[in-house]
Amino acid sequence: MRSSRLFAALTALLLTSAAAQAEVTVLGWPGGPEETALRDAANLYNSKADVADEDKVELIFFNRDGFWDKLQTDLAAGGGEFDLNLLATYAIGRYAPFMEPVELPDSAVEVFGEKVLATMQFEGQQYGVPTDLSLHFMYYRTDLIDQLLSDADWQARYAEIAQKKLGKALKPKPPAEWTWDDYQATALFFTKAVNPDSPVRYGTVLQMKNLLFNMMVWHSTARSQGGDWMDAEGNITVDSPAYRKGLELYKELYDAGASPKDSLSYEFAEANAAFGSGQVATMLQWNAAAADLNDPEKTPAVGGKVGTVPPPAGEAGRFTHIHGLGLGLNKSAQNKAGALKFLEWLATPEAMQAYAAGGGTPALSPDVLAPVAAQRPDLTQLGDYAGQYGFVMTGATSAGALSTYELQAEQFTGYWAGQKSLDEALAATAQGMADLLKK
Amino acid sequence: MQSQHLRDGRILLAPLTIFLLAMLGLPLVVDLIYSVSRVEFRTILSPEFVGLANYASALSSENYWQAAWFSLRFGLVCAVAQLLLGLFLAIFLAPLIDRRPWLLAFLMLPMMVAPALVGLMYRLILHEFVGVVPWFMFTYFGDSPSFLGPDNAFRTLVVVEVLQWTPFALLILYSAYAAIPKDVREAASIDGAGPWQRLWRIDLPLMTPVLGATFFIRFIDSFRVFDNVYTLTGAGAGGATTTMSIWVYEAFFKSGDIGRAVAASMLLLVAAWAVLAIVHRLSERRA
Repeated sequence: MRSSRLFAALTALLLTSAAAQAEVTVLGWPGGPEETALRDAANLYNSKADVADEDKVELIFFNRDGFWDKLQTDLAAGGGEFDLNLLATYAIGRYAPFMEPVELPDSAVEVFGEKVLATMQFEGQQYGVPTDLSLHFMYYRTDLIDQLLSDADWQARYAEIAQKKLGKALKPKPPAEWTWDDYQATALFFTKAVNPDSPVRYGTVLQMKNLLFNMMVWHSTARSQGGDWMDAEGNITVDSPAYRKGLELYKELYDAGASPKDSLSYEFAEANAAFGSGQVATMLQWNAAAADLNDPEKTPAVGGKVGTVPPPAGEAGRFTHIHGLGLGLNKSAQNKAGALKFLEWLATPEAMQAYAAGGGTPALSPDVLAPVAAQRPDLTQLGDYAGQYGFVMTGATSAGALSTYELQAEQFTGYWAGQKSLDEALAATAQGMADLLKK
Repeated sequence: MQSQHLRDGRILLAPLTIFLLAMLGLPLVVDLIYSVSRVEFRTILSPEFVGLANYASALSSENYWQAAWFSLRFGLVCAVAQLLLGLFLAIFLAPLIDRRPWLLAFLMLPMMVAPALVGLMYRLILHEFVGVVPWFMFTYFGDSPSFLGPDNAFRTLVVVEVLQWTPFALLILYSAYAAIPKDVREAASIDGAGPWQRLWRIDLPLMTPVLGATFFIRFIDSFRVFDNVYTLTGAGAGGATTTMSIWVYEAFFKSGDIGRAVAASMLLLVAAWAVLAIVHRLSERRA
């Protein structure tokens, strides 16, 4: 009797396991709006009558700490615990050997547009569906800038500071028309150490921690001056006037006290806390911060007084780094057929509208976005900026891209901290990149 | 009868031996292979033998020696500070803990917290706009230093490490202090020895082996620190707060240079073994 019960239990367990294996398992980006949005989209997919039980989607989340390292280890080990996994533009080259290219329906171009689809491509092949796009805004305090644009005393002081610190005759401009000089002059004007009458402590807050994501934020300065990682022949081109100008801008602002003293340990969260305290006038930051910073309930000191424009312009124009998060197919997936069906569905207007309504940040074509545009007005701005100003550095999707960002972060923060000269930092970066990007 | 004892002993030791071989021996063998191979994530199952190239590459790296110097300084400063502070607290609080032993459990709380959490906690506490320490500094002095900036990062990291791990030194040193027979101190008192003489001539000499062991344990722990430094400052501006563990982690995961990272780990293992052997030799000579 006991043995038959045991046999029945084992059989049930085996059947359950088989069923679990037949599901499509998806490893998503945990703990943020991306998770909520993916849950909503997956629920919608699972509720559809034409989705077979063995193709239902099961989501897996752990935590963000060391996510990419853990994912890399799991993929390299040939783990089949998930069929679809998160993918980022800057990591495609590294993960591509452990993933399979996918073919999306032709309609995907109409949903996302070529430029956004390209954020999930490596060596001409599509590796995933782009679910979220990240880029940068120049955040500013509307109340402070409005007064600067209307107060004659402030304007006179601004012109005096611009002449003294930058050696240029500048007048305050609306943020949408800023060049990097205008940004620098504005930041200095709102810095107590430079202008004791400033209503806030700092003119800006820079994210200068030795961290690859901070390099992405800073890259807009170099690109707007015409900088790139390499030229068409594959020569490393970071030791250039464009890079020097961008690096010197950060150092001058930091040394002048225009950014908090601990900026060399700041990343996304610290910069938001500084700006949200009401003691900072401007900030170059990821688009993901916009909703919370401008919400009076979440950020009482500045909520309702935050404006966003594209990053300032340089000699080559106005640019913002863009990268996408998306979902791609694990080479060791247990249920490839089911996983591909879900990916194809994810590239439809129905899926992306549900994803956007759930809090995700997909960059969608205007027609696809229209039904949810009233609910997510920020996505219109996101799509516009990505299309007009978005860039990816040459080589920034290669296998050595992540290491290149790391290398730049180490060298450039060393320069900003005064530990090495600009020449030393750029020479070491160029030499290291030549090794990393030739692989 | 003796062979029976020997066989029983072997049988009883077998599970532990198998466990150690599986959990330590096997990874060590794999590490040895990887340390003499060119291996990246994409070639993790097909390493290519390169001899001692990874060791040479690690040893010729300026960053490796910078990280080694940081870890050595950090380990020594933290171990000395924890030892002195732990010793002071053990002796100063001994009468109180003797009467209320539960206080010891309370004093142990800092080391119960995960080091990574401690790092995150101090990121908040020291943040200029949301942290309590800068708030007091601004309120009473009108300014606050850059706690995590290049000039102060080392000092801040040392203070955080010492605050978290001094309780460990306190626990061991208090136990050693409490284990000294009271009649020895009473005899010294009767012979006219004052508190300082009793400390220098009785307590400290009797506690010397424990002081040495505590210093060694804390030095090793602080030398290989990772979590709280990584969450507080990461590798630091220009790599200024890169510890050996962070160097290995970044070589492994960020650069994907597995052979080089494992070779550096093996060098660390050899160095730790050498220090252990020296300490062991010294303690044997003393005995």
